[in-house]
Amino acid sequence: MHILPILHALRRHRLTSLLLVAEIALACAVLCNAGALIAARWTALRVDSGVDEASLAAIRLQGFDADDAGDINARVLQTVRAVAGVQSISIINTVPFGPTVANAGITTDADGRHFAGVVDFYVGAPGSFEALGLHVVAGRAPTADDAQPVHAFVPDEASVQIPRVLARHLWPGEDPLGKTFWVGKRRFHVVGVLDHLSVPGPGGGEEKDADWSVFVTGVPGPQFAGSYLLRAAPDALPRVLSASLAALRQAMPDVVIDEPYSRPLTELRQAYFEKDRFMAGLLLGVMAALLMVTALGIVGLASFWVQQRTRSIGVRRAIGATRRDILRYFQIENFIIVGAGVTLGLGLAVALNLALMQVYELQRLPWVYLPPTGLGLLLLGQLSVLAPAARAAQVSPATATRSI
Amino acid sequence: MLKMTHLSKSFRTEVVETYALRDFSIHVRPGEFVAVTGPSGSGKTTFLNIAGLLETSTGGTYELDGEDVSKLGDDARSRIRNGKIGFIFQAFNLIPDLNVYDNVDVPLRYRRMPGAERKKRIGEVLERVGLSARMRHYPAELSGGQQQRVAIARALAGSPKLLLADEPTGNLDSQMARAVMQLLEDIHRDGATIVMVTHDPELAARAQRNVHVIDGQVVDLGEAPTLRMNAQAMG
Ligand SMILES: Nc1ncnc2c1ncn2[C@@H]1O[C@H](COP(=O)(O)OP(=O)(O)OP(=O)(O)O)[C@@H](O)[C@H]1O
Ligand SMILES: [Mg+2]
Repeated sequence: MHILPILHALRRHRLTSLLLVAEIALACAVLCNAGALIAARWTALRVDSGVDEASLAAIRLQGFDADDAGDINARVLQTVRAVAGVQSISIINTVPFGPTVANAGITTDADGRHFAGVVDFYVGAPGSFEALGLHVVAGRAPTADDAQPVHAFVPDEASVQIPRVLARHLWPGEDPLGKTFWVGKRRFHVVGVLDHLSVPGPGGGEEKDADWSVFVTGVPGPQFAGSYLLRAAPDALPRVLSASLAALRQAMPDVVIDEPYSRPLTELRQAYFEKDRFMAGLLLGVMAALLMVTALGIVGLASFWVQQRTRSIGVRRAIGATRRDILRYFQIENFIIVGAGVTLGLGLAVALNLALMQVYELQRLPWVYLPPTGLGLLLLGQLSVLAPAARAAQVSPATATRSI
Repeated sequence: MLKMTHLSKSFRTEVVETYALRDFSIHVRPGEFVAVTGPSGSGKTTFLNIAGLLETSTGGTYELDGEDVSKLGDDARSRIRNGKIGFIFQAFNLIPDLNVYDNVDVPLRYRRMPGAERKKRIGEVLERVGLSARMRHYPAELSGGQQQRVAIARALAGSPKLLLADEPTGNLDSQMARAVMQLLEDIHRDGATIVMVTHDPELAARAQRNVHVIDGQVVDLGEAPTLRMNAQAMG
């Protein structure tokens, strides 16, 4: 109810008020964008790979001759199968959170006119599909008969499984089963739809879904060797993996194990998102610091004003203000200043986001981040002003006559 | 209107307890204009503060407008200050961030008075103190006498039953002081009850009754007819 006279009084402290308004606006803009960035990273972090990560580990070899590939595959399978606790060992070109080895632009027509995006190909030997633990929601899983020889990363023609997100993207509203897509002249027929299967490197921030991947069954050969999928019980996995790697080092001293990629999938996932977690932590730190600086700014200015106006407060009390009236005064004043800051800040947040989008690969700021940030700042303002306002309410009405 | 009986007020510091008022009894009837005089430190301001419910007494009873107010809570006291009492201070005590109009508006807003009525009253009291033309001025842009007249307008705006003034002319030169005193006399003639603390014997003489305070106790000097006659002769 006292908004108007409070506004009038604020006019006399225009510069100080505007400085605080600017600080809050800036905080609001940064908080909105940082919040959205953290949320985006958080979503990326929680991506569903679609595979039984807890039971799986990857083993990658390097520095072997392509001529020996067939021999190498056989020796690895034989060696690892002999290790206690191994449920299965199969050949697969890569795994979720492993290296990106085969991605290609696809078209939904033979002439290559309808470009549909870049997808990642998983090429797995028979048995790997089951080992991954993928869920088929329509059509069928691969059979041994589906396996095709691999030339330059992928077969020339094959029956494949794709996640439903990709299916919906390629043929919206249509049944994907029986559909075909092309990579140049190579043809792939969809025979199964998967619940999820993320690409090896999900959440890169591009305009594509984590599930834009294809599972192809291949026949191991010179072009398809050196990368394996180990499955064991989750609690035994670390032990089984190190036993397997030890057995390989002993049985095949001539090959080199690619250590960073020969780890349980949970560890690969951890390592893959290391930078995102660091960034999210950094942003959280910035947000916390910003909130604290803002709160301190409000507390500081309010305390200063309470001290500066002690006499006026006493006079107000003397001519009839209750303690509550005084408390209200500072709360309303704070609401006006923070409200102005937030209003300005939300506009600034959108502007900042648009500017950042020019420089970085960034999503448009979802508007849902704006109201909670604004409300949060208003709440922070009210909390910050509470102590100074309570102190103001305790000023004695006798201050009006006692202090000159 | 105002009746204090055996009132006492002591201030307690770490070591000593000093009595500002002791066995203080006074009765001010409706419509009276009482001047309170006394040496510095005798307890005049303390009396006025208790009379105006700015401070509480430590003993005795205080009846204001027929109501025992010595035991009221803070909110009730605020309400009485706002509704029944008008204050005029030595240091004017206008709110520096508000213009003349908004300053007079302050007590009315605390009374939750509707906007139209507030506007009407502010217009009237500013007219009465002769400052209608200065509504948009800030206190710092006014002379001391003008500021005190705004303060009087603010005190009058709520039509209080009791006006309390603590050396209202103490910060003014004699010409301005006379104008302010003239205003108070006009207000009194219109029926207000006024209690004014002053050091100035000439001003005190112009009141109906003088109350002399020494060492926290009242020494009633009665109607002071001679002084009053002298003042009229001089005036
Ligand atoms: N807050 C306080 N704490 C302690 N003592 C106080 C306080 N306020 C007033 N006193 C004491 O009470 C006594 C009366 O003070 P009061 O202000 O009423 O005097 P006064 O008559 O108004 O004096 P003056 O003419 O100088 O304004 C003084 O001795 C003063 O020191
Ligand atoms: Mg005094």
